[in-house]
Amino acid sequence: MKTRFFSSRLDNPPYIHPYQAYLFILPGLIIYAVFVLWPILNTARYSLYDWTGFSDPVYIGLDNYAELWNDDDFWLALQHNAFFVIFYSILPIMLGLFLTALMTRRTLRGMTLFRTGLFIPQVMSPVVVGIIWRWLFAYDGPINELLLALGLDGWVRPWLGDFTWARYAVGGVGVWVQYGLCMVLFIAGAQSINTDLYDAAAVAGANAWQEFRHVTLPGLRQQILVAFVLTFIAALRVFDLVFVLTRGGGPGKETIVTSLLIYREAFQYNRAGYGAAMALVLTVIIVTVSALVMRLQTSEEDAQ
Amino acid sequence: MKSKRSVILLTIVALLVALAPAAAQDEVTLVVWDNWTRDAEQAMIEQLNAEFEEANPGVTIQREAYDTSDLTDILPLALSESGGPDVAMINQGFTGMGALVEAGLLLPLDDYAAQYGWADRYAEGLHARNRFTEDGATFGEGNLYGVSNTAEVVAAYYWKSDFEELGLSIPQTFAEFEAMLQTIKDADKTPIVFGSLDGWPAIHTWGAIQHAYATLDELDAFMFRREGGTFDTESNLVSAQKMVEWIDAGYFSPGFEGMDYDNQTFGAFLNHNGVMWITGSWMTGSIIEELGEEEIGFFVIPSAIEGAPPLSIGGVGLAYGARATTEQPDLAAAYIDLVTGPRAAELLFEQGFLPAATVDPALLVEGTLTADVVEAWNTISSQNAVGHYLDWTVPDIAANIQELMAGQVSPEEFIQDVESDYQAGGM
Repeated sequence: MKTRFFSSRLDNPPYIHPYQAYLFILPGLIIYAVFVLWPILNTARYSLYDWTGFSDPVYIGLDNYAELWNDDDFWLALQHNAFFVIFYSILPIMLGLFLTALMTRRTLRGMTLFRTGLFIPQVMSPVVVGIIWRWLFAYDGPINELLLALGLDGWVRPWLGDFTWARYAVGGVGVWVQYGLCMVLFIAGAQSINTDLYDAAAVAGANAWQEFRHVTLPGLRQQILVAFVLTFIAALRVFDLVFVLTRGGGPGKETIVTSLLIYREAFQYNRAGYGAAMALVLTVIIVTVSALVMRLQTSEEDAQ
Repeated sequence: MKSKRSVILLTIVALLVALAPAAAQDEVTLVVWDNWTRDAEQAMIEQLNAEFEEANPGVTIQREAYDTSDLTDILPLALSESGGPDVAMINQGFTGMGALVEAGLLLPLDDYAAQYGWADRYAEGLHARNRFTEDGATFGEGNLYGVSNTAEVVAAYYWKSDFEELGLSIPQTFAEFEAMLQTIKDADKTPIVFGSLDGWPAIHTWGAIQHAYATLDELDAFMFRREGGTFDTESNLVSAQKMVEWIDAGYFSPGFEGMDYDNQTFGAFLNHNGVMWITGSWMTGSIIEELGEEEIGFFVIPSAIEGAPPLSIGGVGLAYGARATTEQPDLAAAYIDLVTGPRAAELLFEQGFLPAATVDPALLVEGTLTADVVEAWNTISSQNAVGHYLDWTVPDIAANIQELMAGQVSPEEFIQDVESDYQAGGM
């Protein structure tokens, strides 16, 4: 048999024994095991003990979980996390789609500048974001000044200390932080949509909304799922923003979230076992939801 | 040849002689963790450390500074390691010192206290705050696990110019104090600068009212979880109602719910957006830095109980303790003796701190803020009127007070909420 000029390497790959394949992923696997898997397993173990974090641990079976079930604060915190999913995940995705539609429809001058500017909140340290917004939300701060200037005196309030509005204020900052990530994902996705489809839509006389609805949106399905998983996880593990904005869950318990309770129990009240139980439940929720979404994604890929 | 060899020999001998003192004396390193992070504080503690090293040749102090909340978070782990700090500053209360004692991480200091005469540093009632039983279960009695070098009193800073303008003088009764608030309000000024965003300042402000109505016995029983300790007292209910009354009367800064402590509340007081500020003596240095010694005064809020001393939130600051497994217990004790002793008191006072040990009266200058603060401390400590930080026993109480202030709960519900937290162990 005559060999072809271009080597057959790709057509006829050499046989690789599975062990060799394992060898290749080994370095990454070791790092992952030591810094992720092992701590998770340990957390699971700690959650079965009554332990301050530095005392002799006492095995108590599932008592921590039983206590968790009856812990009103924990349920309240989970509710708040669910509330933040709207602000961390759903609103940023919608805003991201809107901006993508605006930016892909026609080329704007200074597009890169806009894109960079809109992405900045995402890359800023959450603590810096928190400090900036605490200043913006202050009673004599710019937001209230603006309301006064607009004659909306009735709306002036201590936003972060207001029992009704504190959660919305913290959520609003979440939107501001997260939409940049969604936008960048979607713009990248939109660029890979076949331009023929847009031409076809134009020929068919589609208006902007129809074009978005029937071409852009279906083309971004994968990116939307990815954005949802990322922002959903962020919403469930939000800590730093709340820690800075409302100094740990105030006013009262209006903005306490699960990760704040974990920190408080494990490190401030010296209840590492109980904190570990809480952390594990949160992990299970995150993994379950992410797995469901990923499955949705792969089943769609199969369908295509 | 010979001379060359002798030169080498001589050199070696000379080297040995030069090295000898260092080798003969044990080179010892004492690891100290403290919370002196500001420049002026660093200078003070470095000075003390230098004096300690000079008095103890061969000893090197290896010092690490953390801010208080970091220190509280990481100290437990550090103390359980063999290379951890020999001496560290420890926060009081059940979740602080109590948990460390329970885990057997701290060295009981009673023998050293007797040896150095620490009992005379300040009142026994204050030493009790650094005492726990060996199992860490009972607070306020048992072994001594730390010695403090600073004191704190929560009282009222005030603008002297406003007092002059409105014809006000330091109140002698709680009724006078309340009347004063109304006078200031009528003059279209904010009586009390206050911000509750951070949570803990709410404890101090409500606590100031509570301490006016409560007795020390009541508070001690509650704090140390003694027989009969309860939050459900008449005095707590009256003070909760009083707090609501004051909010409705507009005695606090507008928008106080959204004001943080370090920038907005402190800023409001410095900018003269209010006449008084009820907070701890720890702000003295910072106020003096901005406004000097003359503009601002400080007074303790009188008791609402007739003839009773002006019970005020206060106490001793973080305590210097030693790691149970330290290899240098004697040296650690000697260090604690220095940093909590008279020399440290002098340096602390110079930095605008309130030392726990008595300040030489000769150092006080009439009419200065510093003198007011020292006098406030002397007033309450000499009359056994040093109250408590409520969050040592019920750490979540700030959230409850915020609910009370916003009218989310009634005073009665507030009492019940805190009481049920207390009965459940405080967490």
